[in-house]
Amino acid sequence: MGKVYTGFGYWDVGAWILFFAVAAFYILWLRSQGRSDYKKGTAQDEIYWSGNEVPEDGADLTVPASSAYWGFRKALEPFYKGLLGMHTGLPADVVGYYVLTVAVLAVFVLLV
Amino acid sequence: MNWNEHFPALLLIIPLFGAFLAPVCSLGGKMARNILLVAASFLTLVVAFLLWRSVLANGIQYYVMGGENFRLALPSGMALPVRIILEVDAFSAFMALCGSIAAFAGALFSVNYMNRFSGQSRFTSLYLLLATGMLGMMITGDLFNFFIFIEISSIASFGLIAFWRDKPSAIEASLKYTLVSQVGSMLILIAAGSLYGKYNALNMAAIGSSLTMGTMEKLALVFLVGSLAMKCGAFPMHMWLPDAYAEAPTGVTCLLVAVSQASLYGLMRVCFSIYGVAMGSTFVPWMIIIFGLASMFFGVSMAVVQHDIKRLMGYHSVSQVGYMLLGLGVGLLVLGDARGMADFGFTAIKGGVFHVFNYTMYKALLFLTAGALYYATGKKDLNEMGGLARRMPYTTFMFVIAAAAISGLPPFNGFVSKLLIYESSFAVHPSLAVVALLTSVLTLASFVKVFQTAFLGPEKNNLLHVQEVPPAMLLGMVVLTAAILGATLFPSWTLSNLVEPAARALVDQSGYIGAIVGGGM
Repeated sequence: MGKVYTGFGYWDVGAWILFFAVAAFYILWLRSQGRSDYKKGTAQDEIYWSGNEVPEDGADLTVPASSAYWGFRKALEPFYKGLLGMHTGLPADVVGYYVLTVAVLAVFVLLV
Repeated sequence: MNWNEHFPALLLIIPLFGAFLAPVCSLGGKMARNILLVAASFLTLVVAFLLWRSVLANGIQYYVMGGENFRLALPSGMALPVRIILEVDAFSAFMALCGSIAAFAGALFSVNYMNRFSGQSRFTSLYLLLATGMLGMMITGDLFNFFIFIEISSIASFGLIAFWRDKPSAIEASLKYTLVSQVGSMLILIAAGSLYGKYNALNMAAIGSSLTMGTMEKLALVFLVGSLAMKCGAFPMHMWLPDAYAEAPTGVTCLLVAVSQASLYGLMRVCFSIYGVAMGSTFVPWMIIIFGLASMFFGVSMAVVQHDIKRLMGYHSVSQVGYMLLGLGVGLLVLGDARGMADFGFTAIKGGVFHVFNYTMYKALLFLTAGALYYATGKKDLNEMGGLARRMPYTTFMFVIAAAAISGLPPFNGFVSKLLIYESSFAVHPSLAVVALLTSVLTLASFVKVFQTAFLGPEKNNLLHVQEVPPAMLLGMVVLTAAILGATLFPSWTLSNLVEPAARALVDQSGYIGAIVGGGM
């Protein structure tokens, strides 16, 4: 294993693995302290879903991926409007951005 | 006969022979064809490993094609090498090893994955041809030959991306890649032709030995850097990439990850070994750094809002390429400054080179896990998945390893390479490290979303039939998981044996040039 020296400090994977081992041991110990005398098949055994009845199909109670980080996207709406607008998917745009980038680079490299 | 000397040629001959043998082998049935695919990929991996060991032990290895003596780089009476020469230094050998591991894992995965589809003979031929093109780009010492290998890999890619010809989206993705790739290839050809016209040489070492910066050289540099940056998926020239990666069969996407690294290799070879300190101005290094920052940030920003799993991972590829461009760009910035190189430049290059290995392994694995989900559920949209961890425990485990590694979570290998890049780029300007750190946070957020929506939560009624994928597909994923865990548990060994020799070879322009122009035999 050993240490990785970055020139600014070092990284010791062994220390981290030791940390994870200790954390895993603690978590397993904590879990083992839980009560094992609950009654199966009663309300004690059911999923608690904010006091509501749990739907039969999992699809009804999950947040879909397209809604994840909704607030993040809403807060950055102008940024995403521009970024998504740039990705038209049109072949002419795909080639166009490439040609434009190379042309701009060429101008700057010749000027510098 | 000493086989060591023939490893560079064998590295290309084995997959190329396999590609041409595939239609014949297909007459023997599926089993024969699958054996050919896996055996050719495995033998290529073995040769790549032996070549890497040989180069570490004996230094730069070269192979003259078509000459009276394959070790005679510069025949007497000749001022410049005229033959096609394969030149393998530690950087080339490292890249070939990474690419061969991805090709082998992709081949193993494809055995079961492609079993449901027709046209497997074409698939096997094109897959092995793509591997040949990729490895050729990584070990050739000739600029025109590099163009030829780009074309071989591109043509194979066009066919493989559009492999499912009944899907309009696959045809469209292939068309986009064909258009942009061909324009890029033409610029590479113009650059190679321009350099040949002035220096009377196509050999990279020979051009590097006599190159002086003028208007033509500057334009050739822009054409090469721009085209190769586009081929490796740098922003804003990346738009072909998410489409191509999403539509190609998954084993191919795994290999395309390594092929994009071959373009990055070409970019670095041009900048470090052909132009090197003759580049003079710091404009091009800064250009590469800016490409890196933009690719990192905008790539991950696009990934966060995707819900097609392969497109999401495609945008992450753009983002991860940014890290490598940043690391290698920072190194290039101080190439002529011995103090800067000692203080942070070499660390940045090590970070960039280490990230090439890490990225190839975990990104290939992530694509394979996405393919496993598609194979098991028939779905690519994360909105339609859920609770799959119970049904696919092995795939879930390997996904978590790859997702943690790409997000740069300690103690995984992705963290080590990112740490080297953060610290060295901070020395140039703190804002570079801030963008890199922010990208890592968004990467983690994005993969938490994938993990939560696809693997966690209650099972969906329409996915109750789902089972774990077949053993060969799991084995393909296990190869890459083992590579990730190896680099995670033994980072100092990986750095000192794999990464540092490659990084040292990359900055040693005189060593690369001297091996060929210095005399031959």
